[in-house]
Amino acid sequence: MSASTQKRESRILPREAGAAPLDVVIGVMAFLAALALGVSLVADRTAETWRSGLAGRLTVQVLPPDKGEAEPALDRQTNAAVAVLNGTGGILHANVLSQKDTMALVAPWLGEDALVAELPLPRMIDATIAPGETVDVPALAQRLKAAAPDSTLDDHSRWISRLKDLADGIVWSAYGVLALIAIATASAVAFATRAGLEAHHHIVSLLHQMGARAGFVARAFERHYALSALAAAAVGAALAGMLFVLTGGLEFVGVEPVPFLPPLGLKLVELPWLLAVPLGSGVIAWVTARLSVLAALRNIY
Amino acid sequence: MIRFDNVGMRYASGPEVLRDMSFALDPGSFTFLTGPSGAGKTTLLKLLYLAEPPSRGLVTLFDRDLATTRRNDFPALRRRIGVVFQDFRLLDHLSAFENVAMPLRLAGRRERDYAADVEELLNWVGLGDRLRARPPTLSGGEQQRVAIARAVVGKPDLLIADEPTGNVDPDMGQRLIRLFGELNRFGTTVLIATHDRSLLEKTRARELRLVDGRLVELRVQNA
Repeated sequence: MSASTQKRESRILPREAGAAPLDVVIGVMAFLAALALGVSLVADRTAETWRSGLAGRLTVQVLPPDKGEAEPALDRQTNAAVAVLNGTGGILHANVLSQKDTMALVAPWLGEDALVAELPLPRMIDATIAPGETVDVPALAQRLKAAAPDSTLDDHSRWISRLKDLADGIVWSAYGVLALIAIATASAVAFATRAGLEAHHHIVSLLHQMGARAGFVARAFERHYALSALAAAAVGAALAGMLFVLTGGLEFVGVEPVPFLPPLGLKLVELPWLLAVPLGSGVIAWVTARLSVLAALRNIY
Repeated sequence: MIRFDNVGMRYASGPEVLRDMSFALDPGSFTFLTGPSGAGKTTLLKLLYLAEPPSRGLVTLFDRDLATTRRNDFPALRRRIGVVFQDFRLLDHLSAFENVAMPLRLAGRRERDYAADVEELLNWVGLGDRLRARPPTLSGGEQQRVAIARAVVGKPDLLIADEPTGNVDPDMGQRLIRLFGELNRFGTTVLIATHDRSLLEKTRARELRLVDGRLVELRVQNA
């Protein structure tokens, strides 16, 4: 007798049979929240990849002069620019891109016709900054201009900052979506709690009559809703997690990735972040149920 | 200890259900509340067990003026009152044992400390073999006995019972009244609302009679 009643001791509210509509709503909300969270993680990681790929790199472009013989002038200015770069502290190495590499860069836009080979293409110099070193870019640009008047220096800062803005935009939009989902979840739980209070009115008023403190009644409800929200949101987040794993694996089954678009899959180490969704849902349900019950009990004599 | 001074009660903007009610219940007294149906017995009990506030007048409970008592102190006052509701109000998803144990749980006691007491009490009301039964599987009389056991298990300072013997045979009725008497001997103030004149005749107790919302009769039975 005692053992069996002890197990049931905390159960003030009857267990609901079947999946309540609230569980379905929370499950779907959690699925969407996990998608938004996953997209923010992908955007963040992609921005970091782009940034680290471009940071520490300098590109010098030597344009063909407007008049005169192009090739000798290009050769002279390119050699001068390489000499300036190699003489600059902090620069690890500077390589001139071969004609073939340069052709490959423009191929996607201009094609690979023989005609293209005759176009006066600029020379590209790719310089790498030693890790941990900094280079005074404006001063370097001035010295390059002096040695090779037709050269331009690009440290990709404009590109990086635009990519960062784009990624930040995606991340903040995802946070906005998460906030909306949190509000919707809280409203759904508040609504369900009120319905639950209505449905279990006889229990609540009896406990109240017997001298139960508001906190005791609130605990029964918050437990009930927090646990079912946790379970429902875990299912939703797990489905979203599976979707991210599947999208990540698409290229292995032969679906070609779109150029320039980051892979939409999450890495295994990123998946635990999705646990925040059921935990967050549980906390939202907990707090909302508690506040709703306490507010309702204040209206009883 | 318990006093009503010019208490009136109306629900919303309806007519007054209770009018100019003034009486006192001494600590440790045993009182019957009688009167025809619709006279306001249940409303009077509700004022006593703090289910409704009076529309006017002064209610003093356990020497405290309710009008000036903080709402936070009400749960503690309610825990000093045991109530047998006319419709029992048992929780259907809990066993007879769990229903009876609820006041002790609300008082913060642990099951291992009260389990034996609850079982003994259920034995006493003849439900020793129905400890785990849920209320829907119990007969009306059995449910009533569970409700009574729940009201008395915490040895309350005030016991209020609304028609507590309505669903049991006369023998069990007498047995339950003896249970109330036993509780009363240990100091509990008892107030029982009933139609059953036979209960009054066999018990030496005061009677308050309610007619049309007024207390019209105050007398001591068999005094």
